[in-house]
Amino acid sequence: MKLLLIEDEASLRNTLVEYLRQAGYVCEVAGGYHQALEKIKLYQYDCVVLDLTLPDGTGLDILRALKVDGSRAGVLIISARAALDDRLTGLDLGADDYLTKPFHLAELNARLRAIIRRRQFQGSHHIAFRDLLVWPEQAEVFVREQPLVLTRKEYDLLLFLLANPNRVLTKEAIAEHLCGDAVDSADSFDFIYTHLKNLRKKLQEKGADNYIRTMYGVGYKLSTE
Amino acid sequence: MKLLAKTNRYYLLLTTVLFIVASAVLYYGLFGALQHEVEEQLVNRRVYLERRVQDGGNLPTSPFEYQMAVSPRPQRIGYGDTLLLDPHEQELVPHRQLTFPLRVDNKLVWVTLRKSLVETEDVLGVVLGVMVSVLGLLLLGVILINRWLGQWLWAPFRNTLRVLRGYGVQQDQVLRFPLTTTDEFAELNQALTLMSQRLVADYEAVREFTANAAHETQTPLAIMQAQLEQLLQRPELENPELATLVSELYGATLRLSRLHQALTLLSSIENQQFKQASHVRLDRLVEEKVAHFESLADVRQLALRTHLSGVPSLQMHPGLADSLVHNLLQNAIKHNHRGGTIDVKLTPTHLEVRNTGPTVTGDPARFFERFRKHQAASDSPGLGLSIVQQICQYYGFAVRYDFEPTGCLHTLRVDFAPPALFPAPTGEGVSQLGQPQF
Repeated sequence: MKLLLIEDEASLRNTLVEYLRQAGYVCEVAGGYHQALEKIKLYQYDCVVLDLTLPDGTGLDILRALKVDGSRAGVLIISARAALDDRLTGLDLGADDYLTKPFHLAELNARLRAIIRRRQFQGSHHIAFRDLLVWPEQAEVFVREQPLVLTRKEYDLLLFLLANPNRVLTKEAIAEHLCGDAVDSADSFDFIYTHLKNLRKKLQEKGADNYIRTMYGVGYKLSTE
Repeated sequence: MKLLAKTNRYYLLLTTVLFIVASAVLYYGLFGALQHEVEEQLVNRRVYLERRVQDGGNLPTSPFEYQMAVSPRPQRIGYGDTLLLDPHEQELVPHRQLTFPLRVDNKLVWVTLRKSLVETEDVLGVVLGVMVSVLGLLLLGVILINRWLGQWLWAPFRNTLRVLRGYGVQQDQVLRFPLTTTDEFAELNQALTLMSQRLVADYEAVREFTANAAHETQTPLAIMQAQLEQLLQRPELENPELATLVSELYGATLRLSRLHQALTLLSSIENQQFKQASHVRLDRLVEEKVAHFESLADVRQLALRTHLSGVPSLQMHPGLADSLVHNLLQNAIKHNHRGGTIDVKLTPTHLEVRNTGPTVTGDPARFFERFRKHQAASDSPGLGLSIVQQICQYYGFAVRYDFEPTGCLHTLRVDFAPPALFPAPTGEGVSQLGQPQF
């Protein structure tokens, strides 16, 4: 999967690129408006991660250019501008999703996967992980060919973990993914603990291996070994 | 009390006192003068009578006998007042009389001369009448002139007041007043215009600063957060001690960024940056939010109930509506105890969130203050209710907090006051936002 990351802040860009490459994307970068415009004219991307405030232009214009060209690339806006209006303008212009800085890397990945899934594989895509098989379009989960019934939150949690295999997911990132960004930590940690406990129990009942590892004090990790 | 009414009151008081004093002085002065005149006439007649008797004449008989009386018995000598019956008009008429002894034909008699005071009283009446009416007219004139002056002279002042009342810094405009020829008002207007210029400049600077600060802080925070997340992936972090250190650092970064977002939102509302408004279906929003919080409420074993009885017709910024409901519900969940209840009630006129919770002390009005926390050590920055209040203030809603000691019920009620209600076209839903802003 080929990504274009448009971000003017060098150190944030580097961290994001490192992360996205680890997550298995082919990632190209642009540090400014003109460079970005050039790249989207020359190459095809599956998804564009777009910062709105650029030194030599606005990300919204890049978004417009993409739409004018009839590009098939998904667009995820990341912006420091917390302004609600920008979010609405971005979504109106045809962006697929919007993340306000600062964000969790795992959240970025989960959203990217969702966008790419929606755009590229119409229902034929599945996620396989060890003895687990998930059909995201139908929201169906199978453990060793047996269907597994999950609650909405448990399913979201599992999908979030599956989007970031072998990575430590902080409890804050999980809580925000499940409850939105304004839930207070103390409450939401109870909350994710409960859901994780239930998810693990259900997986074990179907005889799945215990691959959700607890990272003490930090969070959880979907282990590949 | 109006300034003009106040000055008028003193004018009136002074004029009335002067009026009474002047009337009294005039009355007694005139009365004295007229009486003196009558007495002089009586003396003239006495001198005439004495001369006539000295020259050997008799006392004349007056055609009007009540004007002169002669008595052989001694009478009190000197001036006096008496009432005599007027035979024609059959009424008592006041007279001034002068009694003196006179020797006629070697016989001593006492003569009393009288003169009617009726004319004197008439003169007095006329003079007083004229004076009183002149003074009265003067008084009335003063009042009328003052009233007219009040309307005409003070018109620029009232105009200035009207302009000031309608003024808000957010309009981003310098105050303008029509020209006035009164120096004082012209000076006042000039000072106000200057002040508004400074206000607008300061406001602009603050707004720019806030926007820049928000942008510039958010980026380093994003870098910190991303780097820390990457750091957490290192195999070295399998060591719980290191993991705890980095994890706490990470948590603190998140708190900082959350605080920053809340403050940015607050200042944006204060700067009225949410002008755009659309029809908001609050019932849908409440249901959406309740569903969102349901699982969190389950974990804390809270019974979250909604009572929807009618939908208010509101024009609001969708993000602010979202934030309002979100913060109210979050507050109800946060300040609750295990197994408690939350009742969300929506009617066409108000939204009410009632929840159980620990007893609180202190002034309810202060709960809306920024950084006000129930527990000092709590992770939350304590901005939720400030945001609620700010949004309510922005749209002219009234927000009220009540606590019932029986059952420890906390109630937050938002009244959608009439000025904020607009008839709006239906059919347009709440804008879908990816994430609530706070």
